[in-house]
Amino acid sequence: MDPSASDDQQLIMETSARLMDQLCPLTQVRASTYRNAEFALTYRRRASELGWFSMLVPEELGGGNVSGNGVLDATLIAFERGRRLQPAPFVGTNVVAYALAQAGSSAQKVKVLPGLMSGEASAAWLPLPTAPSQGFSATRTSSGFEFSGRSTHVQDADSAAWLLMTAETDNGVIQALIEPTSAGLTVTPLDSLDITRGFAEVELDGFYVPEADLLGEGDARELVERQLAVACVLTTAESVGAMDHDFEMALQYAKDRIAFGRPIGSFQAIKHLLADTSLMLEMSKAITLAAANSVGTDDGYGLEAASMAKAFVGDCGIDLAQNCFQVFGGIGFTWEHDQHLYLRRVTTDSALFGGPAWHRERLCQLSGL
Amino acid sequence: MPDIEVEQFRSEAHSWLEANMEPRPRASQLGSSDSRTPEEIAASRILQRKLFDGGWTGITYPREYGGRGLTAAHERAFRQEALGYVMPDFGGAGHVMFGAIGRSLLAHASPAFLHKHIARLLSGEELWCQFYSEPEAGSDLAGIRTSATRDGDRWLLRGSKIWSTGADHADYAMCLARTDWNAPKHQGLTWFAVPTNAKGLTIRPIVQINGAAGFCEEFLDDVEVTDDDIIGEVNRGWTVAQTMLVYERGAGNAGSVPVEPQRLAPDLVALASKVGRDVDPVARQLLARAHVNDYAQFHLGRRVAARLRSTQTPDPAVAAYGKLAAGTLAPIRARIAVEIGGVSALGWHTGDSSGQRQATDYLNGRMGSIAAGTNEMQRNGIGERVLGLPREPSFDSNKPFAEVIRAARNWNGRVG
Repeated sequence: MDPSASDDQQLIMETSARLMDQLCPLTQVRASTYRNAEFALTYRRRASELGWFSMLVPEELGGGNVSGNGVLDATLIAFERGRRLQPAPFVGTNVVAYALAQAGSSAQKVKVLPGLMSGEASAAWLPLPTAPSQGFSATRTSSGFEFSGRSTHVQDADSAAWLLMTAETDNGVIQALIEPTSAGLTVTPLDSLDITRGFAEVELDGFYVPEADLLGEGDARELVERQLAVACVLTTAESVGAMDHDFEMALQYAKDRIAFGRPIGSFQAIKHLLADTSLMLEMSKAITLAAANSVGTDDGYGLEAASMAKAFVGDCGIDLAQNCFQVFGGIGFTWEHDQHLYLRRVTTDSALFGGPAWHRERLCQLSGL
Repeated sequence: MPDIEVEQFRSEAHSWLEANMEPRPRASQLGSSDSRTPEEIAASRILQRKLFDGGWTGITYPREYGGRGLTAAHERAFRQEALGYVMPDFGGAGHVMFGAIGRSLLAHASPAFLHKHIARLLSGEELWCQFYSEPEAGSDLAGIRTSATRDGDRWLLRGSKIWSTGADHADYAMCLARTDWNAPKHQGLTWFAVPTNAKGLTIRPIVQINGAAGFCEEFLDDVEVTDDDIIGEVNRGWTVAQTMLVYERGAGNAGSVPVEPQRLAPDLVALASKVGRDVDPVARQLLARAHVNDYAQFHLGRRVAARLRSTQTPDPAVAAYGKLAAGTLAPIRARIAVEIGGVSALGWHTGDSSGQRQATDYLNGRMGSIAAGTNEMQRNGIGERVLGLPREPSFDSNKPFAEVIRAARNWNGRVG
């Protein structure tokens, strides 16, 4: 993934890869083993030992990373996760841990952060809407806020111990960290295109949030924007990992499959398609690492870079999976072959946290146009 | 280890440039065309000489031949510092000269040759160009037909060349010729240094579709050269050509876009505003797409450079990613401009340079897809050498070259 990765970064990638291969190979992903609560807990605990959920939390709060750029380290893990189509809300939990570390009250930090970092609990983030039918609004009451609205397709919202909800109010953006067991909140598991992970719909209708459950004070917009950048970079990195593996399978198939007396990869029609596809993959890796560097070092261009990576990889991921599908031919239509899992995954990643067109428009707005 | 740290070098460059060079007017565009007037070339030669005397040319070239013997990082630092100043601008010929040609000479020419020519090249005293492509050999470079025939102790060059960048201003050319017609195509090639004022050599600028003339065609009518003019070894010219291609495809000028594009496609935003489409969601999508591509392409360039640095011998095929990205994205960008501008971008009042420039850019949009190795050649290189896909069957690489053309005329698609 990263030709400039340090030895320490290589090590966390390799140990993470070993854990995933051992604990949750593709056969387990296909069997949706992560839906089993006990397995999920084991999975998160083992992953937490490798620092998966601590990278965006500063050391004084018990977190830490290997390179000094937690977003970049998490990006490298996300890449390895994507290659193996891993379940578990890596993106959601990390974004919530990040937001909590940045803006949580000390009570919230003490109560929630240790559990997220140790894998005992997972979290989901319900961001501002990227489509008209989505998102929440909140209105003030005497002692807090009432949230209403709907967020569809939130990864693992039904098994998350914590939900971070972001809502528009008349006076800016607020966030609330709540337990989904509370009354007045409906979480409905969904069937979905992506069968490698679980998704659920969250609906609120006048759901009461006391002042103490709000995250931070005043307008949270700036933090929410940074959360979105982190979510986009990590989602994109998972996609790039999935693209990397899908491409590897298609490439091998083009070398092995014989037609007209030749390996099909010797035909320029296939060879050129694969060359173009590998260019997309290289550019996707490059732009994702650039965004991770930018967001992780707060260089002032992170919001734009994250949206650019999300837009670019959102398009390329689908193009790549479609091209690989074409190379596989008939075998790609079978349930047994893994390619459809990758196609489902990257198509879903492309839409999560805003699709390519949404992020292009966002880029224009961030650029003052 | 270099004897000067990059940051120290950067700060020396900064001071020297400030004291010696003219600041570049803010509004001025970096040259987008390769066409140069004799006056522009003369002015660039003077500036090149000034840089040479200050020790700012050939930063990565060996010291013994007049360079500084420093790293690519030093070179990048200098280019970044130099962005704000009027620098020598030989157009595309500059890249060819200091990248592909200089590098290939360093790798393959004799020490005597290098002592004679490299310092002159770096100081702008000798401008070099390539005699490489031919009217009947572009992508298939090893299929060139210009011949070099032994005649006593001299060689006679005969044939024609095309697409030589800046040949009309050059003092020397590096010319690829066939020295053995009975050998297979790759094994009968030799490089010669040819002075452009040689007897029997005619150089003519080619007028391109946009009206500019940055390239030339040449006719060699028994041009005389000697053994001393040979670069590399007789009949081993393909090795030199491969070195040249690595640099031509971008490894040599990894620093040519030294700054990350951060402003949203300024030219397209200006165009959209001019035609009142800056609030049009369709136009906004298009210009965002262009900027995202620019940004991705820049970071691909860095990634390719990092990949090349991580191996001992740079593989030209990895550099092909940069070339293919440029060749793929430039035409898309050119079309985006036309689509945003609509009819307003297709006509302009006489003398309106921005309107003129958009049309020129559109017409030149496919330059990078075709010049210096077509997209298809890059795809073959990536497919076979990076991805390890099986090769196409070859019909010409083992036959004596003299038989190749005849066999092709009788093509029936049957092999074995």
